[in-house]
Amino acid sequence: MRPYTFAQARSVREALRGAGSDTAFLAGGTTLVDLMKLEVMTPERVVDINRLPLDGITLDRKGLHIGALERMSDVAADPAVRENYPMVAQALELSASAQLRNMASIGGNLLQRTRCGYFRDVSTPCNKREPGSGCSALEGVNRGHAVLGTSDDCIASHPSDLAVPLVALSTVVHLASARGTRSVPLDTFYTLPGSTPDVENVLRPNELITGITVPRSPWAAHSLYVKVRDRQSYEFALTSAAVALEVRGRTITNARVAAGGVGTRPWRLTAVERALTGRPATSATFEAAVVRAADGAQPREHNAFKPALLRRTLVRALTELQESR
Amino acid sequence: MPRSPVGREIDRVDGRLKVTGAAEYSGDYRAPERAADLAHAHLVTSTIARGTITRIDTAAALASPGVLRVYAAPEPIERLALYGVTGQAAGFTEPYIPLQTAAVHFYGQAIAMVVAETPEQARDAAALVTATYAAEPPRTSIADEPHVPAGPTISGSPSSLNILAPGVESIDAALAASDVVVEAEFHQNVQHHVGMEPHAVLAVWEEPDRVTIYAGAQIPAAYALGMAQRLGLLPQNVRLITKYVGGGFGARVVLWSDTPLAAAAARELGRPVRLVLTREQMFTLTGHRSHLTQTVRLGASRRGVLNAVSHRSLAERPSTMSFTMTPAHSTSDALYSTPNLHVDAQLAVLDIPGSRAMRGPNEAPGSFALETAMDELAIATGVDPVALRLRNYATTSPSSGLPWSSKHLDECYRVGAERFGWSTRSATPRARVDGQWLYGTGMATAIYPAARRTGFAARVQLRNDDTAVVSTATSDLGTGATTMVAISGADALGIPLARVTPEIGDTYLPPGAPAVGSSGTHATVPLVVDAARNVIAELKRLAVTRDGSPWQGAAAEDLRYERGILHGGGRSMTFGRLLTAIGSRGVDMESSPGGDPIPGVIHHSFGAHFCEVRVNRFTGETRVTRFTTVADVGRVINAKAARSQLVGGVIFGIGHALLEENHLELRTGRLANSTLADYLVPVNADVPDIDVVMLDRPDPRLTGPLGDGSEDVGTGSLGARGLGEIGTVASAAAIGNAVYNATGIRVRDVPITPDKLIEHL
Ligand SMILES: Cc1cc2nc3c(=O)[nH]c(=O)nc-3n(C[C@H](O)[C@H](O)[C@H](O)COP(=O)(O)OP(=O)(O)OC[C@H]3O[C@@H](n4cnc5c(N)ncnc54)[C@H](O)[C@@H]3O)c2cc1C
Ligand code: SF4
Repeated sequence: MRPYTFAQARSVREALRGAGSDTAFLAGGTTLVDLMKLEVMTPERVVDINRLPLDGITLDRKGLHIGALERMSDVAADPAVRENYPMVAQALELSASAQLRNMASIGGNLLQRTRCGYFRDVSTPCNKREPGSGCSALEGVNRGHAVLGTSDDCIASHPSDLAVPLVALSTVVHLASARGTRSVPLDTFYTLPGSTPDVENVLRPNELITGITVPRSPWAAHSLYVKVRDRQSYEFALTSAAVALEVRGRTITNARVAAGGVGTRPWRLTAVERALTGRPATSATFEAAVVRAADGAQPREHNAFKPALLRRTLVRALTELQESR
Repeated sequence: MPRSPVGREIDRVDGRLKVTGAAEYSGDYRAPERAADLAHAHLVTSTIARGTITRIDTAAALASPGVLRVYAAPEPIERLALYGVTGQAAGFTEPYIPLQTAAVHFYGQAIAMVVAETPEQARDAAALVTATYAAEPPRTSIADEPHVPAGPTISGSPSSLNILAPGVESIDAALAASDVVVEAEFHQNVQHHVGMEPHAVLAVWEEPDRVTIYAGAQIPAAYALGMAQRLGLLPQNVRLITKYVGGGFGARVVLWSDTPLAAAAARELGRPVRLVLTREQMFTLTGHRSHLTQTVRLGASRRGVLNAVSHRSLAERPSTMSFTMTPAHSTSDALYSTPNLHVDAQLAVLDIPGSRAMRGPNEAPGSFALETAMDELAIATGVDPVALRLRNYATTSPSSGLPWSSKHLDECYRVGAERFGWSTRSATPRARVDGQWLYGTGMATAIYPAARRTGFAARVQLRNDDTAVVSTATSDLGTGATTMVAISGADALGIPLARVTPEIGDTYLPPGAPAVGSSGTHATVPLVVDAARNVIAELKRLAVTRDGSPWQGAAAEDLRYERGILHGGGRSMTFGRLLTAIGSRGVDMESSPGGDPIPGVIHHSFGAHFCEVRVNRFTGETRVTRFTTVADVGRVINAKAARSQLVGGVIFGIGHALLEENHLELRTGRLANSTLADYLVPVNADVPDIDVVMLDRPDPRLTGPLGDGSEDVGTGSLGARGLGEIGTVASAAAIGNAVYNATGIRVRDVPITPDKLIEHL
């Protein structure tokens, strides 16, 4: 760990004062402190934001509002979330461990960094950590890496489970900086690696996430998150799927689908959504709808299974959701 | 009247200390008198696998706060004063001297050490050390590098055998002449021991030539001897304390580079030095199980009677510390009766971190191959897997022809099949579905060698307060060895367990048995019983000779010791009272030498595993849902600890079958999964209820009395046979066989992960 100065902020304004590219905001610290110990992140200033009034889980006509500092465990346990957005609660409960979920915040979760092993080992080249140094994963061990949205400079997968259902549900992220506040759809909040994998989102250096809003919808309540991994707990996804369906009679009238573990950002699958809409909720529909889910995938030596596993994960999630009605 | 604790469910004597955090592991010791002086070391490791260091820049580290010293290779030898190790200890000591040359032998080798006032200062300064290298391409492929014969197995038997029935020309001819032939190739990646406690050491010098080392060690005597030679000291001037150890599994058999470096720095600085490896460093600095390829060929009659068994393997020989991997050892060369047997082990020299025995070192991978092939033979012949094994049951070893001292494997099959409900199984693969889950069952046989071990000692002291102390410098890796010593002592002396204090893990105690090869218990028990016998004889001698004794002048033969009390001539007295009466605080005796192997028999522990798995028919995750293990492990000393060992062994097998692998990057020689996020071990959610039965059939020819025996000493703990590894052996095969039964897919490359199943689901 490198030396840094530490301050505790009591208000958003205080937190933003003097914040720049050398500043890191400390929420639960489960990503930040980890990466500081590994010297992957070496901020000169750490500003503790835990006393900021960025809390609250409320449901109104517009949707579900969650403060950036709400803890993963509290959001997962909230009755309104469980009832109206089951896949959000499920994605949280399938993340990390109980201890981590008690510490980790929603804002921090959306900003967590990739689990690419080369990113975390400072002795290996990595464009995301050190622009221009090269990408060790291209020829290295890349079983956990992305197949969608990759570039020749980075193939790191986005690690957040929570972000997958949030992207499916058109969640909006609320940001605040000295210049004022703005709201950005989560889907466009995240950027593709391209030739600048060190840039992962549109957040500015002196900007805070204050909260998110998950819009209200008839389909969010009929939703499911499925996470596929080698180990039954305490592991990131090989693939995951967030699916929400509105079914009238036997017909799917609305579908929301996103995938995790496969993309360089949480991956919304609008083509699959379209292929489901207006069709009967049968396994034939599901099988047909996912055929092209991984179009454009660029598999590497160890992750060539991901397109097929993605399709299977989607069918499983849709089938399980439909059977649960 | 005390009931013997042998075979009962006994809580660990140190359980409370451990769960409350009061037990001091190596990293917890603080050398109280010199705590203010304590300095902390941190290692810097290489980032190439082969070549030489051309320069190490330590300036920034030296200027960093709190830094006392930076030692960087190649350092002048006088400063750290480390020497080569020869003779007996050499086999248990890393063969190169750390930080003394510019040569890099593997990725992750120690190339510098920073010592500072706090652990954080040392760690942060270590990150500032940079090295430049003249790198050479590392040798990383076992397939491409030249192959050499492995040499003798761990127990000294040949690793290459060709036993042919009269008139048979070759193993190939025997196979060709068989009605049914199964041939299968198996592969597994590097695996790690992953003990819960990190490797940690504290070195405290009492004199310029005398040091006390606190470190986790499985063979305390060899570890201390290796340290003495490394540091250029007399053997008696190194004291090793290894009282609590958070898991060995083979990784603490070897004296690696960390302990000598910490001790050398402590000597040079004149301060106690503590060094704790990071979890990442443990993956390259404390050994691993070699990755390997195996080929098994079985030839049998249509009824499944074996005519030929061939088992070949190819594994690593790291250019530094190397464990000789011979996976047919005690598996194919011992398990089934066959007239034609061929085993062969080859190794390829690689620039990879040192390898070491890992729980069931040969037997876990070897049995995975053999027992999977046996399942394939069961399918090919249509014979039930249990029946197939009984049909090929060996009553003498197929390689040596010798009988076993005790073998009840047939009973393991019978009891296990019954408890598990094996008879309701469907032999047809992919026949059973429950919603999204395909399910199926499988079984496999476990076998692990045992041997009598000699050359160790225990001491029993009787004290004037009617308590006893039993001492022997073995180590307790978390297995319950300390409790075993107490139980054996309580049984031998016939006194309550609570009145026995066990003392282990200190090389100033009588030389104890190594905690390796599932032998700690069966090597220790006879020593304790014998020391108890000797101390009882000594007590009688004192009784008839000493002033103050009511029996002074009587004949020792007329005295009888029973349950802590001496009887004779119509009088009785506890040993404590007698000792008080003669003015003695205590009397102690050591065990006698003896216990040589009994010729003409061999020893193994046995077991049978039965398991059920579920495989998701969409996404291919395998979940183990039921597990029954029946083990033939001789006399059970502590039913509770024994069951824990077997359960833990099966969990190791779950890791082997479904999760554990470290990928070696062929280009760089880097082990890519060297963190606990990337190297997956089972978590609780992966582990079902594991049903364990121990037959409790004593094996006195393995664990018998050392001397003549005596009527007065309790011998209830004799007949034990090791069980630390048997649960690990073949449990992975049982899981793989169940996956086949559930899905019809045979995966021969462990771990069995979803990506290997979905293509065929
Ligand atoms: C062992 C382990 C296993 C895990 N497994 C999973 C898993 O299975 N699935 C999963 O989804 N996640 C997993 N995680 C990741 C975990 O969910 C994240 O670490 C956590 O959500 C981050 O939240 P935090 O509050 O601790 O963030 P911090 O570590 O405090 O912050 C993370 C980053 O976000 C910035 N930041 C935090 N809050 C704000 C804000 N309001 N505005 C602007 N910037 C901010 C920080 O400066 C920092 O850069 C795992 C983590 C660990 C350590
Ligand atoms: S995949 Fe991305 S994060 Fe990983 S090494 Fe390449 S550039 Fe770095």
